Amino acid sequence: MSHRADGLRTWLLQRVSAIYLGVFLLYVLAHFWLNPHLDYVAWHGWVASPVVSIAGAGFILALLIHGWVGLRDVTLDYIHHLGLRLVVLTLVAFLLIGCGFWAMRILIVISS
Amino acid sequence: MTTRRPAPVYLNLFRISFPVGAVTSFAHRVSGVLLTLSFPFLVYLLDLSLQDADGFSRATAWLQSTGFRFGSALIAWSMFHHLFSGVRYLLIDIEAGVGLRQARASAWLVNIAGVAATLLYLGWVL
Repeated sequence: MSHRADGLRTWLLQRVSAIYLGVFLLYVLAHFWLNPHLDYVAWHGWVASPVVSIAGAGFILALLIHGWVGLRDVTLDYIHHLGLRLVVLTLVAFLLIGCGFWAMRILIVISS
Repeated sequence: MTTRRPAPVYLNLFRISFPVGAVTSFAHRVSGVLLTLSFPFLVYLLDLSLQDADGFSRATAWLQSTGFRFGSALIAWSMFHHLFSGVRYLLIDIEAGVGLRQARASAWLVNIAGVAATLLYLGWVL
């Protein structure tokens, strides 16, 4: 894929992931809003329900894509030193992948 | 490409006036970075809140604690501002509200709504 087309694909990925993130976030906020006195049992049951845990796994995936594209753009705009840029991008990748696995593990453990 | 006219250089931060759209845009970037940095902490809170009843009360107590109030407000602002300005960008992508007057009005709306939602969150969580 050419460099230009790659940029277009990234642009589209950022928008599609943004829509998913926004819709899921509003869903979660609405749940908190409608259930202001959540206790452990209710919270655990809600997250463990198939709809929430599967949609939540999609949220984590969308978050990794969206966070990577966003922080890559910010890093390329403000950090011009190549070595430092690589260090920052590597740290961002580790942070996102590490947290992504951690969050996925939580969702798998709770729904099994 | 070369230009004959020397470009004006105003690097004095006190003499540069940012249009409101630039404030919204920069805040979108700042909030995005803050959200990414808070990712490990939010996953930790999720993990803690789902472990057992004790973990759940520890997680909620932490969200309401005085020490964490500033950090909590900062994450909430980042989330709300990023969400609102993100919706604004998606609308601009489909050419809704691209006129200067509309774009300025929506930028003001987004900036104020982000702060207002954060205050609502603080009132709700405390």
